[in-house]
Amino acid sequence: MHLAVSLNIASAPGQASLAFAEIASLVRKAEAAGVDMVVISDAGDERSSSPFEATTLLAALATVTERIGLVAGASTLAHQPYNLARRFASLDIISHGRTGWNATLAQNPREAANFSRPEGLSDDDFRRRAQEFIGIVQGLWRGWDADALLFDRAAGRFHDPEKMHLLDHKGQFFSVRGPLNVARSPQDTPVLVMSGLAEADLDFGAKVADAVLIEAEGAKTAYDDLKRRAVAAGREPETMKVLMTVGVNELTVGELEGWFNTKSCDGFNFALPADLSVFDHVDNRVLPELRRRGLARSAHYGPTLRGHLGLGAGGEK
Amino acid sequence: MSARQMKLGLFLWATGHHIAAWRHPDAHVTAGIDIDHYIRLARTAEAAKFDMIFCEDAAGLREANVQIASQTSRSIGFEPISLLSALAAQTERIGLVSTASTSYNEPYGLARMFASLDNLSGGRAGWNLVTSASPIEAANFGSTGLRPHADRYERAREFATVVTSLWRRKAAGHDGQSFSVRDPLDIPRSPQGAPVMVQAGASDDGKDLAARTADVVFSAAQTFEEAKAFYDDLKSRLAAYCRQPDDVKIMPGVAPIVAATKAEAQAKYDALQELIPDDVGVALLSSYLSISDLWRYPIDGPLPELPESQGMKSRQALVIEQARRDGLSIRELARYFAGARGHWRVVGTAEQIADALQERFEGGAADGFNVMPSWFPGELDAFARLVVPELQRRGLFRKDYEGRTLRDHLGLKRPV
Repeated sequence: MHLAVSLNIASAPGQASLAFAEIASLVRKAEAAGVDMVVISDAGDERSSSPFEATTLLAALATVTERIGLVAGASTLAHQPYNLARRFASLDIISHGRTGWNATLAQNPREAANFSRPEGLSDDDFRRRAQEFIGIVQGLWRGWDADALLFDRAAGRFHDPEKMHLLDHKGQFFSVRGPLNVARSPQDTPVLVMSGLAEADLDFGAKVADAVLIEAEGAKTAYDDLKRRAVAAGREPETMKVLMTVGVNELTVGELEGWFNTKSCDGFNFALPADLSVFDHVDNRVLPELRRRGLARSAHYGPTLRGHLGLGAGGEK
Repeated sequence: MSARQMKLGLFLWATGHHIAAWRHPDAHVTAGIDIDHYIRLARTAEAAKFDMIFCEDAAGLREANVQIASQTSRSIGFEPISLLSALAAQTERIGLVSTASTSYNEPYGLARMFASLDNLSGGRAGWNLVTSASPIEAANFGSTGLRPHADRYERAREFATVVTSLWRRKAAGHDGQSFSVRDPLDIPRSPQGAPVMVQAGASDDGKDLAARTADVVFSAAQTFEEAKAFYDDLKSRLAAYCRQPDDVKIMPGVAPIVAATKAEAQAKYDALQELIPDDVGVALLSSYLSISDLWRYPIDGPLPELPESQGMKSRQALVIEQARRDGLSIRELARYFAGARGHWRVVGTAEQIADALQERFEGGAADGFNVMPSWFPGELDAFARLVVPELQRRGLFRKDYEGRTLRDHLGLKRPV
């Protein structure tokens, strides 16, 4: 099974915010435990008091870890698609192919007012805009062929211009010419993780996401539904992993095994509270027992996050 | 510290500042996809006690002609805020300054990014404000044409005001011409209070904005007189904003080529110039002059008369001035310009380069320099190994860091 840990860096009221060393220590523990990826949230519904924004934090974490996947939340309202595509493409090169973007189609109600949209966006506009945004980002990530860079000093050919592609996107909310000015990712494209999907988002998510995080409640139904929609979109069902998000305190290994064996998910995302010592329970009790039962592996599969998740390449071109 | 000492920035760019750097056998040709290379450069600069690393940026390709672009190493590289965040975890003392555009960001988002970098680095971040003059960038942000020069600066002024208020936790709420922000920033202040503000625009609008908001100004000047005139002009504008001359550090770019003898240094430079293809040199010059058809004119003839562009006004004036002064042909100017992009080129021994820097520093034409190695890592290593110790021996540059933050290094006040 695939395993993720999600970390809300915004501290709870009355609690000190997490320092970089504490976060890095947690991520290294998760890495040593063979966890596929850590998902770091950015500002949520509540005001964050973290000293860090998620993508910049991720860049720093990438240099102090070696194997674990690193996924950051980033809002489609707080960024322009070209800028965000660059950020994640760059993070993916910094991390040697271990990066993912956790995108959501749900609106943070605080955000619009701080991004020069005092009138706000309707949920429907936000959703359609976010869908267009995600399509642009994924398109930009594919702008350079894997063999585009030549580095041919003698002939004076740095790259092959035939292998660099314009996006030329013109849509309802954005027009973006491209190409990206960051090289292709070592894992073809950063991993697209989606979370908080509403009913109206499921077709879109099943079409574009590499991994989807779902709630424990109604997981079996949601899992079957997402996989069916992925197949309807022309995908092999195993090219999209569905991870069930579970709290850490209440779970038992037996329950996890039950959910996994009844195909309610492809694995689990352990949602950690601000008190990171809770991870020790996962590390010392849950994971060893899952390994003993042959359900979890003790090491990562490939050097990239796509490799860990058993995902194919990120797409042609 | 007794005597005034110069500030040094390391200006990182692709495989090197020379357009043909990537073809040099000692350049690291895969720089744009190798984070370890940048970690090495940052540590070299930190060991040499540089004040800061500086990353330029553009949100798009540098060159519209894809054939020309493919003969340079500048079409791919790291996005600088992620690059510097990575370097923050791998260095201890050196300042980390990134360029970011006021045309293609929102102030709340940009303020958050830099505040986060400032916290990750323990108070070593800086923002180089640019307004973005390239139509290639504009096409990545839904615009069909560039905004006129004055409009871009009006937006930039408002942007800078909002960002600095957010960083200083001034009363929340801004409702202006281009932006509105409701909440205070949700990221706590760093040990240096707020990231350092850097600017490089040398037009009248640019200088005025710098006088109002910048802590550091990067500039381009070929001669001592140009450097001195810019320095005096900018410092004289500060009083209007109730600022002291020392509140802003002016750091012109310098593109050194250093070797054990003058002849050796000159040979290094000549060999590098030979690697520039004519079409690349002319294209680079065209892009800085904001005219697309320079290639139509005879390459061995003079520069044609040019209309004033909406792009980089000040840069254009500098290039034209250069050509007229030296009676250069298009080819000659293109090669000369390609070498350092209008910045000051100094070729010689460590003593000669230190002499040149000392003259401008002590002559009131610079508070320090933004060092632009021609290729990486070799020419940075040479500068760190040969020139920095010479400057230290003369008492012109620090032998060790005295503080921990970028504001400490630069001798800037902590903002209220």
